[in-house]
Amino acid sequence: MLSRRTRIVLSVLVVTALTFIILDLRGGEGPLTGVRNVAANALGGLERIAATAFSPITNATGWWSTMRDQATQIENLTKENDRLRGESETFANDRARVAALDGLLRVASVGEYRMVPAEVIAVGPAQDFSWTVTIDAGKDDGIEPDMTVINGEGLVGRVLKTTANTSTVVLIVDATSAVGGRVAGSEEIGIVSGTGRQDSLEFQLLDPLADLRIGDSLVTFGSKGGRPFAPGLPIGEVVEVSGTPGQLTRVATVKPFIDVSTLSVVGVVTRPPRTDPRDSVLPKSATVNPSPSPVPLGSAADAAASESPSPSTDDGASIAPTPAPAPTKETAATLQPRKPKKASASPS
Amino acid sequence: MMWRQVLIIGGAVLAAVLIELTLLSRLDLPGATPDLVVVTIVAIALAMGPMQGAAAGFTAGILVDLAPPADTLLGVNAIVYIAIGFVTGFVIDPRDRTVPIEMGIVGLSAAAATLGTAALDTLLGSGRVSWEDMPGMALSSALYAVILAPLVILAVAWIVQKATPEILVT
Repeated sequence: MLSRRTRIVLSVLVVTALTFIILDLRGGEGPLTGVRNVAANALGGLERIAATAFSPITNATGWWSTMRDQATQIENLTKENDRLRGESETFANDRARVAALDGLLRVASVGEYRMVPAEVIAVGPAQDFSWTVTIDAGKDDGIEPDMTVINGEGLVGRVLKTTANTSTVVLIVDATSAVGGRVAGSEEIGIVSGTGRQDSLEFQLLDPLADLRIGDSLVTFGSKGGRPFAPGLPIGEVVEVSGTPGQLTRVATVKPFIDVSTLSVVGVVTRPPRTDPRDSVLPKSATVNPSPSPVPLGSAADAAASESPSPSTDDGASIAPTPAPAPTKETAATLQPRKPKKASASPS
Repeated sequence: MMWRQVLIIGGAVLAAVLIELTLLSRLDLPGATPDLVVVTIVAIALAMGPMQGAAAGFTAGILVDLAPPADTLLGVNAIVYIAIGFVTGFVIDPRDRTVPIEMGIVGLSAAAATLGTAALDTLLGSGRVSWEDMPGMALSSALYAVILAPLVILAVAWIVQKATPEILVT
């Protein structure tokens, strides 16, 4: 049978764990908060080191995800190629105009989101059902809880808690996440909540009579003071609408623009824009042509970056959503009262 | 030597937690994340005994709940892991220990850990657990654990034998 010592140790451990659970269930500031912060700080530091050590392996996983859906990817790329060939015929004409507008827009719109770039260093295990990740920027980089996190494709999530050098981010697909969303174009508003699955969100329209169609894009509605969500950020695209107009609640399934399984570089919005950019930062193809596979912003940004010298190469703004051409009048209006300051992110 | 055991348990568990969060969970494998932490706890329990298994479970559970990006109640994983570490060390008779039995124990433990944590979380009011995905999660978790098992069990047994020859599992 068990020795006396084993029994004592076992009961002490179980009682301690139960005590922790009870203290933590109470919520708010408890006797454990300080200890937790210190431990999270230390473990966050270790995670940064481990992530650096493992980066050759984790970087290679892009290859694995590419291998898995190669067939669909080839199909999509072929389609895109055909479309792009058509577009390139007219592209030369637009090029000069784009180059002229680019510098202007970049300062006017991109500069309004001030961001701290960060890299994902740890991800919670899938069997916890929580979609949370750790990024390698924290309090020391100016990050605070409830800041918006984005990447080149769209809205990623919000900062949940911070330590000195790391922060925990709740992704929009987490089951506890809810974001105010607006349908691009029709301006209808609703709530986008996570489902816990990595490729679907749920959009609940506030106005049951509103018109909602497959292919519509959603952008963030924006919160008071830009926290936790800055306005006008691309969220996803409607892929399924259930219910008919007039029904008490209308729910749509939305595919997020971000791919949560391959997140690496993200930006934390430390200062939202002064005015809501509306849907001007949506991926261009999503607004112009509601095709089932919008070109991610990243590629649009790459294309634009090759056109003109941009601030994206020397600071963190490379992950900024590139604005689709906004009306010139609005651009001039936003631009004039402010100095054309550099779209800078504070160095991390 | 007590402190050597503490060192082995702490070191092995910390390494397992870090590898799981920064490497294994980022591999984007289908289903669950390979649960290296559970495999390590079982390996320690097999090599050192039920008390050390329970201690390893407690340490691992606390670390998992503390390490960012965890957003769970502190102690939930600890309860589940204590049970796994203790039961493994208690039920296995070292004399009829064979590789298939050990792999089976690891697989069962991983599935039990997934189910147990989800059940506790649900009871304590977490709205995240999706039970329709549960069978797939538990099965894939068990499968990955079985694959990891031989390597981890051998490595832990070797370290324990070298560092603390005084341990005789009875």
